[in-house]
Amino acid sequence: MSFTLRSVKVPPNSVSLEEARHRVFDFFRAACRSIPTIMDIYNLQDVVAPSHLRSVVAAEIRKHSSVTNPKVIDMLLFKAMEELNNITEHAKQRHHIIGQYVVGREGLLQDTGTKDQGASDFLKEFYKTNYF
Amino acid sequence: MEFLLMNHPLDCPICDQGGECDLQDQSMAFGSDRGRFTEVKRSVVDKNLGPLVKTVMTRCIQCTRCVRFATEVAGVQDLGMLGRGSGEEIGTYVEKLMTSELSGNVIDICPVGALTSKPFAFKARNWELKGTETIDVTDAVGSNIRIDSRGPEVMRIVPRLNEDINEEWISDKTRFCYDGLKRQRLNDPMIRGADGRFKPVIWRDALAVVAEMAHKVKPEEIVGVAGQLSDAESMMALKDLLNKMGSNNVWCEGNGSNRDADLRSGYIMNSSIAGLEKADAFLLVGTQPRVEAAIVNARIRKTVLAKQAQGWGPDTLLEIAERRHPFSSVLLNAKNPAIIVGAGLFERKDKDAIFSALETIAKYANAVRLDWNGFNVLLLKAAQAAALDLGLVPESENSIESAKFVYLMGADDVNLEKVPADALWFIKGIMATGVDDWKIIRALSEVAGVKLPYDTLGAIRSRIKTVAPNILNIDEREPATFSFSIKPESTKKMDSAPFGTAVDNFYMTDSITRASKIMAQCSALLLKK
Repeated sequence: MSFTLRSVKVPPNSVSLEEARHRVFDFFRAACRSIPTIMDIYNLQDVVAPSHLRSVVAAEIRKHSSVTNPKVIDMLLFKAMEELNNITEHAKQRHHIIGQYVVGREGLLQDTGTKDQGASDFLKEFYKTNYF
Repeated sequence: MEFLLMNHPLDCPICDQGGECDLQDQSMAFGSDRGRFTEVKRSVVDKNLGPLVKTVMTRCIQCTRCVRFATEVAGVQDLGMLGRGSGEEIGTYVEKLMTSELSGNVIDICPVGALTSKPFAFKARNWELKGTETIDVTDAVGSNIRIDSRGPEVMRIVPRLNEDINEEWISDKTRFCYDGLKRQRLNDPMIRGADGRFKPVIWRDALAVVAEMAHKVKPEEIVGVAGQLSDAESMMALKDLLNKMGSNNVWCEGNGSNRDADLRSGYIMNSSIAGLEKADAFLLVGTQPRVEAAIVNARIRKTVLAKQAQGWGPDTLLEIAERRHPFSSVLLNAKNPAIIVGAGLFERKDKDAIFSALETIAKYANAVRLDWNGFNVLLLKAAQAAALDLGLVPESENSIESAKFVYLMGADDVNLEKVPADALWFIKGIMATGVDDWKIIRALSEVAGVKLPYDTLGAIRSRIKTVAPNILNIDEREPATFSFSIKPESTKKMDSAPFGTAVDNFYMTDSITRASKIMAQCSALLLKK
């Protein structure tokens, strides 16, 4: 099996925060470039637009916006690259992509909040779990 | 060390005691790494001691701790030493099961792996278990226990030392009931559909249905019954909820429907469990401590040893109260007489008359003084005392007969035949759903529009503090302030029906023990007389 993105490597260490930051942008560009392929191989035209996938990638990156340690950023980048490789290599199946990046973590049962409007925090927590 | 190990098998890797074995520890500290014994090791036939204790008698080192325990603490002369020399062995002489309620304790006192737990055999190693120190709920004694778990599964229950309560013993029910926790559990709230079948629903729907039903009935038709295993927090929440809805018909099962909770001395063990050792005469009324509270029985036995308990009927009680019975003089001559009343009497209609007769006895026998309070009530269920402390007493005696909406908070033993057939039910089993009871009540209160003012355990405890501060006085025994001397006199007559037995089957008294396979085996094998 060939790595289609073998050229985009994550070198072991970023010297400075600046370099790590650049690598993040490089990764984002690489991800954006592979989005058309991903749409193609997973047959996603009906379920999602490329712009949505781009913003999902951006959101995943922004989730870690508070990280300032270059080593940690490198590690996160490595994991991101691994994930991207897996996706472009077709190591995943369609429902993985849809479940993880199209529908999102909350799943299909997204609570719009109409039922629990006016309910206290306690009640909202109670409906979710016993452990709070 | 060498002599001890001479005849001890080298099966530590397959022995259940491995890792908590006294002999293993000793030989690691003092033993030699090689033996000089070349002959054949002796072997002993295993004994069948019943469904609880597994025996591998070859491992026995003849310390006779189990014999001493059975004779001196449990009070059954089942075990003994047979043979002599190398033929010496522990046994029952004739094939006989160990029928004591405390038999499980021989597992703890056996220093080697000769007596181990049968249900726990080959289940886990003690170093992979996580211990959680807690209190037992299968009876009203409150034995100190440690629950050993591996992951989410309870693997075994062992006692903790507390000289004031259970010393170092626990009853077999406490020790072996844990497999009942694994069976017949509810995972989701359920609602009975039109076809009579239960359908799992989500909490939002369940609470909405219950809240709607609660609003359909009149406030005085709402009844709440707390189960015998309920915690104080949930009972507080239940009482507050029902009070807010306008009903005051809430009680705890086992407490009967006409308990007055005004005097704390009327429902607690006033001389304390450890204090029973000081007593020199016992009058047991309507109680059989052996099955109702095996640990208290061991304590009483420790004190009286030679004397025997007698079964009294109401007539005899009246005779003693009127000093016509020979036992009256025993009570009069005793320095610290102890009267123990069974909580089974709470359910009797003539309860007030019985209690006033007992108070007469206590008065002339001088059982309640500044330095000694010998008037004791032996409760049956774990939740009873806290329920009375929190004031869970029904407003009217016959509230269940006119009930339209019944909230059973884990109450399984309520006599529901009296409830009218058109009542709307809300039954919640004790082992429901793995959700804390008080959280359900708190959530229900909000859905029903009578929101309770607490969201956290801390907040609910501070609410309890305003009602019954003694409950939060942890690690210390809180004696009752007033005795019955300020209670108004009762003029009711006693019923001559004999006192029934409060506990028919020691091994099965609540929903956990009834679901337990081991307890079922015990009642099949050990109760046969």
